[in-house]
Amino acid sequence: MGIVKGDQMVLNIGPQHPSTHGVLRLKVVTDGEIVSDIEPIIGYLHRCFEKHCENSTYEQVIPFTDRCDYIASMNNNFGYVVAMEKLMEIKVPDRVEYIRIIMAELNRIASHLLALGVYGLDVGAFTPFLYMFRDRERILDIFELTCGARLLYNYMWVGGVSHDLPVGFVETVYGFLDYFEPKLKEYNEILTYNKIFIERTADVGVLPPEVAISYGVSGPNLRGSGVKWDLRKDEPYSIYERFDFEVPVGEGTVGTTGDCWDRFYVRMLEMIESAKILRQALKNLPQDGDVHQAIPKKIRPPKGSIYQRTESPRGDLAYYIISDGSPEPYRLKMRSPAFTALSVLNEISRGWMLSDVIAILGSLDIVLGEIDR
Amino acid sequence: MTDNLEQLINDAVEKALAGDMDAINNIEDRVTRSKAKAALVKAKREAAKEQTEKSSDENSIDSSDVKQDLTINENIAELLIQQFPDDIIKELSSKEHIQIQSKNWLIISKYLRDDPACLFDSLQCITGVDLGEESDLEVRYNLHSMTHRHAVEIRISCLRNKAKVPSVESIWRIGDWFERETYDMYGIEFEGHRDLKRILLPEDWEGWPLRKDYEVQETYHGIVVPKVKEGWE
Amino acid sequence: MIVDWLIDWFPTSVAWPGLTFVVVVILCAIPVFVFIALYALVAIYGELKISSFIQDKVGPMGQGVGLHAWRWGLLQPVADALKLILKEDIIPSSADKKLFILAPFIVFIGAFIAFSALPFSQTLIIADMNIGIFYILAVSSLGVIGIILAGWSSNNKWSLYGAMRSAAQIISYEIPVALSIVVVIMLTGTMSMQGIIQYQSGLIWGFLPNWLIFNNPFTFLAFIIFFISGVAECNRTPFDIPEAESELVAGAFTEYSGMRYAFFFLSEYANMFVVSGVAATAFMGGWLSPIPGMLNTPAWGLFWFMSKSMFLIFMMIWFRWTFPRLRVDQLMDVCWKGFIPISLFNIFGVGIWHLIVG
Repeated sequence: MGIVKGDQMVLNIGPQHPSTHGVLRLKVVTDGEIVSDIEPIIGYLHRCFEKHCENSTYEQVIPFTDRCDYIASMNNNFGYVVAMEKLMEIKVPDRVEYIRIIMAELNRIASHLLALGVYGLDVGAFTPFLYMFRDRERILDIFELTCGARLLYNYMWVGGVSHDLPVGFVETVYGFLDYFEPKLKEYNEILTYNKIFIERTADVGVLPPEVAISYGVSGPNLRGSGVKWDLRKDEPYSIYERFDFEVPVGEGTVGTTGDCWDRFYVRMLEMIESAKILRQALKNLPQDGDVHQAIPKKIRPPKGSIYQRTESPRGDLAYYIISDGSPEPYRLKMRSPAFTALSVLNEISRGWMLSDVIAILGSLDIVLGEIDR
Repeated sequence: MTDNLEQLINDAVEKALAGDMDAINNIEDRVTRSKAKAALVKAKREAAKEQTEKSSDENSIDSSDVKQDLTINENIAELLIQQFPDDIIKELSSKEHIQIQSKNWLIISKYLRDDPACLFDSLQCITGVDLGEESDLEVRYNLHSMTHRHAVEIRISCLRNKAKVPSVESIWRIGDWFERETYDMYGIEFEGHRDLKRILLPEDWEGWPLRKDYEVQETYHGIVVPKVKEGWE
Repeated sequence: MIVDWLIDWFPTSVAWPGLTFVVVVILCAIPVFVFIALYALVAIYGELKISSFIQDKVGPMGQGVGLHAWRWGLLQPVADALKLILKEDIIPSSADKKLFILAPFIVFIGAFIAFSALPFSQTLIIADMNIGIFYILAVSSLGVIGIILAGWSSNNKWSLYGAMRSAAQIISYEIPVALSIVVVIMLTGTMSMQGIIQYQSGLIWGFLPNWLIFNNPFTFLAFIIFFISGVAECNRTPFDIPEAESELVAGAFTEYSGMRYAFFFLSEYANMFVVSGVAATAFMGGWLSPIPGMLNTPAWGLFWFMSKSMFLIFMMIWFRWTFPRLRVDQLMDVCWKGFIPISLFNIFGVGIWHLIVG
């Protein structure tokens, strides 16, 4: 593509644009429809997360983590509390671990539903978006049932969770799973195997595995490139080693391995795996146990630092926490998966058309809250 | 790693210690070979320690009772000390991290990425740290290897008023953005970076916000910037 | 027909033929405009409700106050139209004002004057020209000039992109549309809309109405190509790349608001009706009843014509809420590598069929 060189034009996509998934600005150099260079300009949603953390106590950090990746707040809480518990060497009760896994996996499904639905919107299909939001709503209802919040939960605390499960929770989640699993077929019919959708996404924006690793791309984007790497499996944290699930990878079913379709489909398959984990967790959930039992009275971790990685729906979410023994973190750095995913955009979308850039951006599933922090 | 492979490596290391280096060099799989080499280094070091009966100070941990991932870290430290004896600051390194001098960081990082025993193909995170208003700044690199599945943390400290560290953007592509972010927050200049500029903050922002002695600028484009503490209280 | 009838009826026609002509055209134009406006309201309501049905939501339900509150939300499109009319009309300061103002009207005129040759029933046609179908093809591509003007005069990069895409798309898809119509003209031997319908009366294969869509496999294929290309000419999904809201914000119409935007909107719906009307006329027997020989009075004719058109419009709405959008080069591929060769082959095939079968 792009054999004939014409005059180049600089086009600003965003910060206000329907498909930049937030307030991202892309400075795109185009030659007609063909894109020759992209410079993502970020920071429009910078809320000084790390500076705030240095001025608040360890407990007060949790609501901030909610607001980083507001699509998957549970997973962000999870990553932080896992890191803190490792730093403070707290052993949490089994029931808490199971509750956390259930919440994290539910939130993973919700997050993937949003990512896939919005991706449909990016390539012009409106209906799958509403189907997926309809089902995501049920998960949000479950969260509301549990902790009263629908988007920013502040649910997982260091050493426990904020509320125990409500009465009838297990049945509700079972009900959701029974409803949700057949719906995947519907999504596949309306979007995944649609001829136009395949035309738009197969072979587009191929991300080779070595480029992905060099750019630090992680999570479903990395697995879409065919790298079987999932922290839940490869470096299990919490109690993930107790669950039996597969790590789906992109296989280039309709195009090249690592194209947009693979990244899309890996998320679709991951929802099935999450549902599998959920069923196991619900089955083995301990009936009793105090969820507040292990919560420390004072959170004063010993001097030291920790780098803890967890698998959020967007990939490898890590916290680097340095403690100086005071109730406030000395330094808290969040390694955000969407940040690294966005950095690869220029590399894989040069030479494609303007429409493809939107498709590639959508397939990377970025959340600006997490990139800008 | 399967038991089979471990067995193979152990055998090779034993033979090598007896003087037969070919036992290791003949291993066909590159990964296994490098692992064997790493194990050999470890074994040799332990042997040397036993011989000289050195009193072990705080930093050289007896590796028999530390966890698996930490042992790997030690091995890498050992490898680096062999390769770059002048650049590793042993006194400041611990079982969790390796402290190095910034001068040869680019060469060391290339070695870390390409050496078969290390193969750190993925740069996980770059964290800037301010060690206190009077002390230095520090850059911490968390590296991870997808092949060996091991991790290491490298720390480089630099002067507060002349903060310069070689850029690893050419080694790991994600270094580009991570270094820009660290520059943005701490003002650490990464030498050799193609396009070092602010990433999260506006380009005309003044000061380095995550330094402990940061003073918020009075006004920004005519808007009064509220002071951090006032905002809280 | 109506035009001829009115001109004959006018007592002054002898004295001032020019004036008579102007008055008659205005007299014809007003009902057409009213029809388009009313039809657009119905179609928008239909689009809202059908999309809601497809998307598992309820759509306008008559909640709230004012016009929205009427039963089943029937007045929702009226409220929408009122909103658009009452909104502030914003013209960007850097826009080319004259062209910016002119553009929506050119787009609308293209769709509007095509209505004069649509046969609503045996007697209800503004002007039954002997080149009716050719006339419609000619004037319906006028709209593209308006879209290019809109894109250029807005002085906005998105608009320019949209306009360029739109020009390329509409001009390309003119060709398969015209080639499919050639098939019809070959069989019927006339370009008059009423003539084409007359040809399709009676039975074929013993039980089917003699509509061209049933006539032979080639005409059926021609219908498919015509209809899909027609959808492309209306800039509807999956061919809505000129306005592609996720890429180009709103394409050529990005800078338009209020009344001017409403005109683009109206033109889109008018164009849909023209494409459906021509498809119904040329391939589905126009105002002919599906049961040959029965219910063929002019009133029933209007009913049949409207039902067929509305069915095709429903198909377009259905497409829109089901398919993703094509990319601009894929769109061109479909046209130049797919439809045009098939259409050319079709013409050949129909010729052979005509020689051998009938």
